[in-house]
Amino acid sequence: MNHPDGLAAEPKNSGRRWGFRPSFPVIMFSVLGFLTLGLFAFVTIRPIQVLPRITLGPGYFLTDANGAAVTNEDFRGSIVLYNFTYLNCTAPCPETSGTLQEVQARLDELDTGGIPVRLVTISFDPARDTPEALQAAAAKLGADPAVWTFLTGAPERLKWLIGGGFSVYYEEREPGDFRFDPAFMLVDGAGVLRAEYRTAVPDPDRILRDIRLVAEEVHNRQGVANYAYDAAHLFLCYPR
Amino acid sequence: MIHVDRSEKIYIIISVTLISVFFIALGISSFVYGFQVPVPEQRVDPRTIATPAPDNPFGEPGLRELVPGKKYEAYVLAQIWSFTPREIRVPAGSTVTFYVTSKDVQHGFRINETNVNMQIVPGEVSKLTITFDEPREYDFICHEYCGVGHQSMAGKIIVEP
Repeated sequence: MNHPDGLAAEPKNSGRRWGFRPSFPVIMFSVLGFLTLGLFAFVTIRPIQVLPRITLGPGYFLTDANGAAVTNEDFRGSIVLYNFTYLNCTAPCPETSGTLQEVQARLDELDTGGIPVRLVTISFDPARDTPEALQAAAAKLGADPAVWTFLTGAPERLKWLIGGGFSVYYEEREPGDFRFDPAFMLVDGAGVLRAEYRTAVPDPDRILRDIRLVAEEVHNRQGVANYAYDAAHLFLCYPR
Repeated sequence: MIHVDRSEKIYIIISVTLISVFFIALGISSFVYGFQVPVPEQRVDPRTIATPAPDNPFGEPGLRELVPGKKYEAYVLAQIWSFTPREIRVPAGSTVTFYVTSKDVQHGFRINETNVNMQIVPGEVSKLTITFDEPREYDFICHEYCGVGHQSMAGKIIVEP
């Protein structure tokens, strides 16, 4: 603009502005370089964090504290946190229902955008943990019937579900005396196992964060964000 | 600019392109396939790992049944110069996940004639899953030199029909 005379010469020396004229390989390598850098930035900064889709959660057919039949399909659309125990579990037996109590108490501070969160305790001692015993235990633990369900069923079904489906070990050493690995499992609304906590005392903050991440993914997966979430899964952008 | 011979130029371009392609492929595939060192499944304290406790499977090492006849997990504790347990019996057709750790020095865990081959590092749990299809016997050995009794550090897996 300041040098109107130079305008006529401009098309001839269009490469002058950078001091060189970028050739095709240079442009190609720059584009590739920027793509690679962008990819590394995406996987190191991890702007989107997801929980891994570990495997499909197992199906089951059990009975609840009211004696009614309950299947895994009844929890479709809900985020479910499972624990596996038996009601006569006293020290040094690893007690895990306390964590569910705390999660239940803190569900109010969690905004899942309308996705229900359910807690499910599965007892592997059907001989003693009858529906009445489960009801009594639910009352004792202050379980909200709308949130927290207690299930049990036939021994071989429980073995296939807990040992086979969730890979959680338990065994009856003496009648009524079980040896088991304390574990919690988080299953999403589509029935996919998203997190395993193989400890007696998991961090409730971590469980609540994981529930929030699962709910966020459901709500945010729209339009272009769909591909971003798929990329996050592909490049293992898991929370640390 | 210095003069570079035409054939030299072709070699330079080919080698630089190859290196770039391999580098990018390695970077991307390591994220896509989640490449990781096969050792750190879990961290444990080697000083207390052998102590029996309700939540410590290594306190009572051995085979544990997940689904009868189908799915098992084996907790194996390595120490100088033996494995606990020395003998594992599983039914044919079962899938066994091995969790192995050491309570003293570095050991190895190899089931002969299978793909199971792990370094056993104190403080870390090594994990591998294998399916035993046919009834036969397998030897498992320590294949990381661990001291004067190293050669006697072995055990047996018996796949029963």
